[in-house]
Amino acid sequence: MIPFLTYPLALAALATLPALTAIYLLRNRFRRRTVSSLMLWHFTLQSRQGGTRVHRLQLPLLFFLELLALALLVTAATGPHWKSSQNNRPLIVVLDDSFSMRAVHDGASAQARAQKFLEGLFHHGAPPSVRLILAGKEPHSLGSIEKNWSQVAGLLSQWTCRSPDARLEPALTLAVEAGKDQANILILTDHKPDDENVSNRRVEWHSFGAAVDNIAIVNASRVAFENQDRCLLEIANFSTGSRSARLLVQAGTNTEAVPLSLDGRGSRRLVFNVPSATPSLHASLDPDALADDDDIQLLPPIRKRVRVQVRLPDENLTALADRILAATGLRSSISADPEIIIHDNASAATGNAWDLFWLTGAATNAFTGPFIIDDSHPVAQGMALDGIVWAAANITNAPGDVPIILAGNVPLVSTRDDAFGTRHLTLNYNPGLSTLQDTPALPILFWNLLRWRSDEMPGLKESNARLGADVTVKTDGHAVTMTRPDGVKKDFPATTGDIALETPMPGIYSVATGTITNQFSVNTIAADESDVSGCASGQWGKWSEDAQQRLEEASATWIFGLLALALLATHLWLVATAKGAR
Amino acid sequence: MDSPLRQALGDGEKLGLRYALQIPQVAASGWTGTRSGRRNGSSIDFQDYREYQPGDDLRFIDWSIYARSDRLTVKLFREEVIPHLDLVVDGSASMALDDTAKAVAAARLASVLATAAANAQCTRAIWLSGEGFRRLPNDTLSPITWESFAMDSKRTPEQSFEIVPPKFRRLGVRVLVSDLLWPGNPLTLLRRLRDGAAALFVIQLLAREDITPPEHGNLRVRDSETGEENEIYIDSTIAAQYLENLAQLQQSWDQACRQCGAHMTTIIAEDLDDSLDKLQAIQLLTPA
Repeated sequence: MIPFLTYPLALAALATLPALTAIYLLRNRFRRRTVSSLMLWHFTLQSRQGGTRVHRLQLPLLFFLELLALALLVTAATGPHWKSSQNNRPLIVVLDDSFSMRAVHDGASAQARAQKFLEGLFHHGAPPSVRLILAGKEPHSLGSIEKNWSQVAGLLSQWTCRSPDARLEPALTLAVEAGKDQANILILTDHKPDDENVSNRRVEWHSFGAAVDNIAIVNASRVAFENQDRCLLEIANFSTGSRSARLLVQAGTNTEAVPLSLDGRGSRRLVFNVPSATPSLHASLDPDALADDDDIQLLPPIRKRVRVQVRLPDENLTALADRILAATGLRSSISADPEIIIHDNASAATGNAWDLFWLTGAATNAFTGPFIIDDSHPVAQGMALDGIVWAAANITNAPGDVPIILAGNVPLVSTRDDAFGTRHLTLNYNPGLSTLQDTPALPILFWNLLRWRSDEMPGLKESNARLGADVTVKTDGHAVTMTRPDGVKKDFPATTGDIALETPMPGIYSVATGTITNQFSVNTIAADESDVSGCASGQWGKWSEDAQQRLEEASATWIFGLLALALLATHLWLVATAKGAR
Repeated sequence: MDSPLRQALGDGEKLGLRYALQIPQVAASGWTGTRSGRRNGSSIDFQDYREYQPGDDLRFIDWSIYARSDRLTVKLFREEVIPHLDLVVDGSASMALDDTAKAVAAARLASVLATAAANAQCTRAIWLSGEGFRRLPNDTLSPITWESFAMDSKRTPEQSFEIVPPKFRRLGVRVLVSDLLWPGNPLTLLRRLRDGAAALFVIQLLAREDITPPEHGNLRVRDSETGEENEIYIDSTIAAQYLENLAQLQQSWDQACRQCGAHMTTIIAEDLDDSLDKLQAIQLLTPA
C-alpha cells in the first residue's frame, strides 16, 4: 500500500496538485504589475463588480464556496502569524579577518581550520539562517542572510584574511545588535578572548590559532636622503628563544643576503642607502609559519621639486635666496613656468604661481623678540627664533592677511589666498640688519614653504604604504583610475581635491591621472598581527540550552492557502460536474 | 552605478545651483565656518577677552593690553560655524520601481539638496539605508562623484536603523527622502531622526504610478521589496479604496511629523523640477 493513502491530509494535498496547475493557468490571465508596496493593496471592501460572476452562476453552494475561498485568501494575504516554538536559533558568525589567521600550523592555517569547523557545524544541524560579519579594521557585514552551506561558502570567498587588524569587539557589538538576543553568535579567531569568562549566554568564542615561531618584517621605509634613498628595515623575532634568519635584499640587479641572529622577543634594525635610481627594493625572509609578513617591496620615494623663480633686483638678496633654496634640496633645476615667484614688488603679476613678496623697505626696526609664532601653520613648523635679531619694516597687518610670525603687532611672515586659491606670502625681512640668515631658521622657513607648495601639487603623496592605510592622491581636474595588484580597476570621476585610495591587499598599485601614471607599494606590516606567539586553540563560552523554548513568529499563510486551494479544487469539480450534467 | 543615475546626479547639481539650503537659527552650532554661531569664534562681533593659548589666531591679540601688562590677551568674537546637512535617502527597492522615474528623481533630488547645502556653505553627509545605514563614498565631493548610490535593499529605513544607525551630527539639518511606503508607526523613525537635529524635513517621493490606480480588470500586483504577490480585480470601488489607503498613510505621516516638529511634503517623481517650490514652501530651500 502506498503510505500516503493512509493519511487523508496527504491524499488531499495530492489532490490539490492538478488544481494548482489549473490555478496557475488562470493566473496567467492576470496583468502583472510591480508596485512599491502591497500595504496599499490590502482592502477591507471587496469589489462590487467582482461579484457579478457569482450571480451568473446562480449556484448557492458554489457561491458559498467562492465566498469562503475568498475569505481564506484575503486572510492569507494579510500575512497571519502565530507564535511557534523553535529549537534552532539563527546564527551570526564573526570572522577574524586579520592576516595572522593565515599562520600555518600542522599544514593548515587557522582560517582553514575555522572554515572546516563552520562547515561541520552546518552538517550536524543547520541553523535557520546565517549572517557573516568580517572583523577587520572595522566590522563589515557580508549582507544577505543565507540559509544553506553552499550560499555561506560563496560568501566565505570574501573572507580573505588580509586585514592588518581584527577589531573583534565592535564586530561583536554589531552582531549583538543584529541578533537582538535571539541569535547565537559564533566568533572564529586565532586567539583567546581578553576576558576568558564569556558571560553572554548567546556567544561562543572558538579559537583555532597556535603559538608558532614567527620572524617578521615589522617596519620598512624608504625616504629621500640627498641624492640617495635611505632605507630602514626592522625585523622582529616573536618567539621566546633566539633564532637565526636570513634576509635577502634585492635592490635592482644587486642581491645581498644578510644573516640575522635575533634574541627571543628581540628585533634588529637595518639602515642603509641605495641609489635613488634603484627602481624597487625587495626584501624577503626565509619562509616560516606566516608568509605574509616575510616579504616587502619598497618603491622610490616621490621627489617633488618646486620650480622657483627669483625676481629680486638686489644681487646680494638674490644670492642669499638662491643659497637658501639650494640648501632645501626641494628646488627644481629649472625655473621656467614657475610654481613660486620670489619678488620685491607688491604689485607684481604672478599668474597662477604662488608668490613670496620679500619686503625689505625703509623704516626698518630690529626686533629681538618676543616673537609669536603660529606653530600650527605649515610654514612655521620647527621654527625657533630665540636670540635672533629680525629686522623688518614697521608695518601693521594688512586686512585679509593671516600672520604666521609676529614681533609685537608687526607681521614678519603672513599669507593670504586670493579668489582663485593662489597663495600670496609676505616676508617682512631685511637681512642687512638681521642675524636670521646666520641660523638654521631661514632655511627651515624656505624648506617649509617649498614643502607646502609641493604638497599642493597633483599626484601621489607617498609611494609606500602599510596594508589597510589610505593613500591620498591629489587631483587637478582629471579622472583617476586605480589598478589593484589583482588587476581590478576602480575609476574616480574628474574632480579637484584629495581622493583617498583604499589598500585592501599587498602589492603594487598603479594610479593613472590624466596622462601620468604613478605606482605605490603596499606592504603587510603590522607587528601586533605578526606576533602569533599568543595564539591559542580552544573554546570559550557556550550557547545556553534554554529550558524554555524560543518562541518565534511563524507565518500561518500556508494553512489558509492550502484550505483555499482545497476549496477551489472542490469548486472546479462541482463546476465540471454541473457542466457534464447539462 | 548606472549611467541614468549618474546623469541625474549631474543634472541635479546644475539645478541645485539655483538654490541654497535655508538654515534654521537653532542650527547655528558646528564647525568653524561662515555663519554666526552661539559660541566663541572668529567673526567680527566682539564677545570677551581671555589669556592667549598656543594655537590661537594671532590676529586677535589685543596689543594695547600687551603694551600695558606685558601679557598676551586675545579678543573673543562670536564663532562662525558651518551648518550641516544630513541627507537620509531610502535605499529600499521600492525607490527604484520599474518603469518609473523614482530612482532618477531620488538621485536628482539628493543632488539638488547637496548642491543647495554647498551654496549655503553647509557641510553634508549623505546616508543610504540598506543593511544598516552607510555613508555614500565621496559624498563631500561633487554629486557626480558619488559611488554606490543603489536602491535595491529589501529593508525599510526603520529596519536599517535597527542594524546600523547613521551617525548624525548634532544640531544639523536632517532631510529624509523616501516613499514612506512601509507599515508601522511613523513616530518610531521620526523620533530617532529628530533626536538632536536642528530641523527635520520629510520628503515623500512617489511615482505617478503610486498615486494612480490602474484601469479596471484583473491584476496581479507584486511587492517590489518582498516579492509577495496579490491578485485583485480592480473596479471603481477598489480604486477609491486604494486612494483612501494612500491618503490615510500620508495623513498618519503628516500627523507624526507635526508631533515631532518636522516638516513634510510630497513630490511626484515625474514632476520633480516643477515641485521644487514645495521645498521652498516648507522653508527647506531658498533661491540662491
